[in-house]
Amino acid sequence: MQALLSFENTPPFAAPLRFFVTAPLFAVLAGLLLLLEGPALFASRWMPATLAATHLMTVGFMLQVMLGALIQILPVVAGANLKRPLLIATVLHLGLSIGALLLAGGFYLGQPLLLSAAALLLGATVLVFLVATTLALIGVPSTSPTIRGLKLALCGLFGVVALGAVMAFALAHGWALPLPVLTDLHAGWGLGGWAGVLLAAIAYVVVPMFQLTPGYPARPSWWFPLAMLTLLLLWSAAVFFDLNALIRLCQGLAAIVGIAFAGLTLRLQQQRRRARADATYHYWQLGLTASIFALLMLLTAALWPAASNFAGWTLLFGILLVGGGFLPFIVGMLYKIVPFLAWTHLQNQGQAKVPAPSMNKILADTDMQRQMIAYAAALVLLLAAVFFPDWLARPAGLGFALASGWLWLNLFGAIRRYRQFGRDIQLKLAAKLAGNK
Amino acid sequence: MSHPKTPHVVDARFMEPPEPFVKTMEMLDTLKDGEKMLLLLYREPHPLYKVLKQNGHAYESELMPDGTYEILIWP
Repeated sequence: MQALLSFENTPPFAAPLRFFVTAPLFAVLAGLLLLLEGPALFASRWMPATLAATHLMTVGFMLQVMLGALIQILPVVAGANLKRPLLIATVLHLGLSIGALLLAGGFYLGQPLLLSAAALLLGATVLVFLVATTLALIGVPSTSPTIRGLKLALCGLFGVVALGAVMAFALAHGWALPLPVLTDLHAGWGLGGWAGVLLAAIAYVVVPMFQLTPGYPARPSWWFPLAMLTLLLLWSAAVFFDLNALIRLCQGLAAIVGIAFAGLTLRLQQQRRRARADATYHYWQLGLTASIFALLMLLTAALWPAASNFAGWTLLFGILLVGGGFLPFIVGMLYKIVPFLAWTHLQNQGQAKVPAPSMNKILADTDMQRQMIAYAAALVLLLAAVFFPDWLARPAGLGFALASGWLWLNLFGAIRRYRQFGRDIQLKLAAKLAGNK
Repeated sequence: MSHPKTPHVVDARFMEPPEPFVKTMEMLDTLKDGEKMLLLLYREPHPLYKVLKQNGHAYESELMPDGTYEILIWP
């Protein structure tokens, strides 16, 4: 039985871990940038520091964890194995980490050379990922909404990175492109087509599995990724043909589709069979609630465009959706994935002769809950700083850096304990085997 | 628990991993010639599929409207 549990093709633990411990450092950097720049960062979404901080979060944190986690879970959720996962992990991790720094540096310092280098490096890195995953997924039939969702999310990833690279070059070389409209579209592809569709595809598996909820009903699960991608293609066409009403229609419909997914997930969570609410559950509740508010803002602006003229509207939307929605979803999942993977690897090391310690000993729920409260407090400060930047911008930056640093400490601590337990298990196993001789 | 497809059913829909895997392997060991078993789960168990293939078992999976995967397995 134990041999059967040690799935030979599972990528080595080191493959995804490097992404998970690097990502929080980018969130710390974003917080420190806000601490350094203060209220200026809240002056407009187009401020160099604001663009830098946004991409530290989306590329440095979100993309980093998403790609790292996919290397790990593609075999589990889709039965697709990446060839040479460790090599791919090394290339992606380096490309993403350096690329995110170049991009943030390029925005912050207004350096065309850095922007071009970032576009080239991030474009090439994501291309490596897309080729590797496409090769793994070729021949895998879309037997579940998860597999179809993953394939469509990869199209979303291509969309956001291709648009991002073109815009970075345009900014660097002064090409005449309608950058504000394209920025919205780029954000739509990134947060809707890539992150949103990927989140749904993975949620179909992990929400019932880790939170013991009923499953997602089949029909909406099949439709959600397809609807989102179709809307983004339509939105792109509308940008190309300069059809403003159609752009707004697509944004409004995308918001409704997103709200439906978040509402359905909230309803499933209410029916969960797990008695105790753990940190992941709370993080997801926060993420779902904040996402619904953010998407209601998007819907409002689609119906009544003048709403977005209010100062701070887009910043508030971005903080709610990225800081309040996606980051909590991702951290909530990290808090399940890291202890679970550590436990599985320890279980395998014990070869059924030495039991692995419980997951709570690898990463205690109280540590995760406390960090979550710190994160929620930092988020409240960030949201309030949109209205009172002079007073709250710097405290919000400090709070965000501290909460993200705490996340790093929690994850790093789990890895340290995993290594310690691994050594203990090896010793006990050796003693048992010696005793049997 | 019984099911129109077979009387041998593992309803693993509210079980935490690796329990569904363990329970399925246990039930497979008890099946007699010609008998089939059914695993109910809210996800497709790709790692289990892999082990089933390696051990020469056949399976058939069907997604129901409520999100349940009915996985029929036979030796």
